[in-house]
Amino acid sequence: MSGTTLHIPTLRTGRLTLRAARWSDFEAYAAFRTDAGRTRFLGGPFTSAQAFEQLGEIVGHWQLRGYGRFVVADRVTDQPLGVVGPFYPPDWPEPEIAWSLFAAGEGRGIAAEAAQASLDFAYRELGWTTAISLITDGNLRSIALAERLGCTREDDFVHPQYGRMQVWRHLPPGTPA
Amino acid sequence: MTARLADTPVLETRNLVLRAPKPGDWPHWRDFALSPRACFIGGPYELGTAWRGFAHIVGMWAILGYGSFVFTRRGDDAPLGMTGPWYPADWPEREIGWTIWGAADEGKGLAFEAASAARDHAFGALGWTTAVSCIDPDNARSIALAERLGARRDPDAPRPHPEDLVYRHSAPVGAA
Repeated sequence: MSGTTLHIPTLRTGRLTLRAARWSDFEAYAAFRTDAGRTRFLGGPFTSAQAFEQLGEIVGHWQLRGYGRFVVADRVTDQPLGVVGPFYPPDWPEPEIAWSLFAAGEGRGIAAEAAQASLDFAYRELGWTTAISLITDGNLRSIALAERLGCTREDDFVHPQYGRMQVWRHLPPGTPA
Repeated sequence: MTARLADTPVLETRNLVLRAPKPGDWPHWRDFALSPRACFIGGPYELGTAWRGFAHIVGMWAILGYGSFVFTRRGDDAPLGMTGPWYPADWPEREIGWTIWGAADEGKGLAFEAASAARDHAFGALGWTTAVSCIDPDNARSIALAERLGARRDPDAPRPHPEDLVYRHSAPVGAA
């Protein structure tokens, strides 16, 4: 007899597997969350205890919303490279496609590949008709990725705790980037 | 590869059912977490923080294979509180935690009944050989519960916050 059922699908792209977070990802995830440089636009750095909670939150989001973020891993080695996917906590203005990359995933177009796969998943499997991505001012790499994905900037969102964030809206379903 | 959280254990006691948390529990947790009743677990929380905390509790079941149980009355799936094994990264040692979400459900022995079952599960099915509960020194109800559970103060145990009291549980009689 089960109180809870949770199913997290796996997506594949040319170079990547987008899959459920699991305990073996913790070391790589904690290295990312405790890195001041890599989390400077994400409210970090965090302690590894916070990273533990955040890894759990990634999975729990699937249970609460029916969707959530994936760990992006190398399709061949399964090395975790980042966390990308649909994200919608209740203090967000609307559902977003979120992305963050570990150091091992930087500079190879991996975020674009994973974000595009996540957006396709959200449109095709989740029935989203639109999607945004929230980006902190000054996060130039993330802004460049939004532009590369064909996003257009809209009015900023001001979060009661985290402050001002840029709103970038993705191309609608069926539009090639 | 797929994460699948299913067939999570369900514990039954005389009056209660302990099961894994599920999405319908969220509004009940939210009302608790945003209220002054959450003051001994780091609250009251903002909405977004409360949601992330609940997601974290749920997600731990999938990641670790065990986690905190939500407990309900038999025959009524409305959640009353949470109790169970808890062992975050950086936590000094394995813990048994408990919360009662609504003031109206306090004082009826529900947390004692639920936490007893959670402790027995940790020492039994999970194979724990010891466990603590870290309690705010002002949380008199929780201290009373720890003592009723037979836990004893362990002044030498490491603790997450220097002011916490650490109560150590002993294995229930008959546990492996």
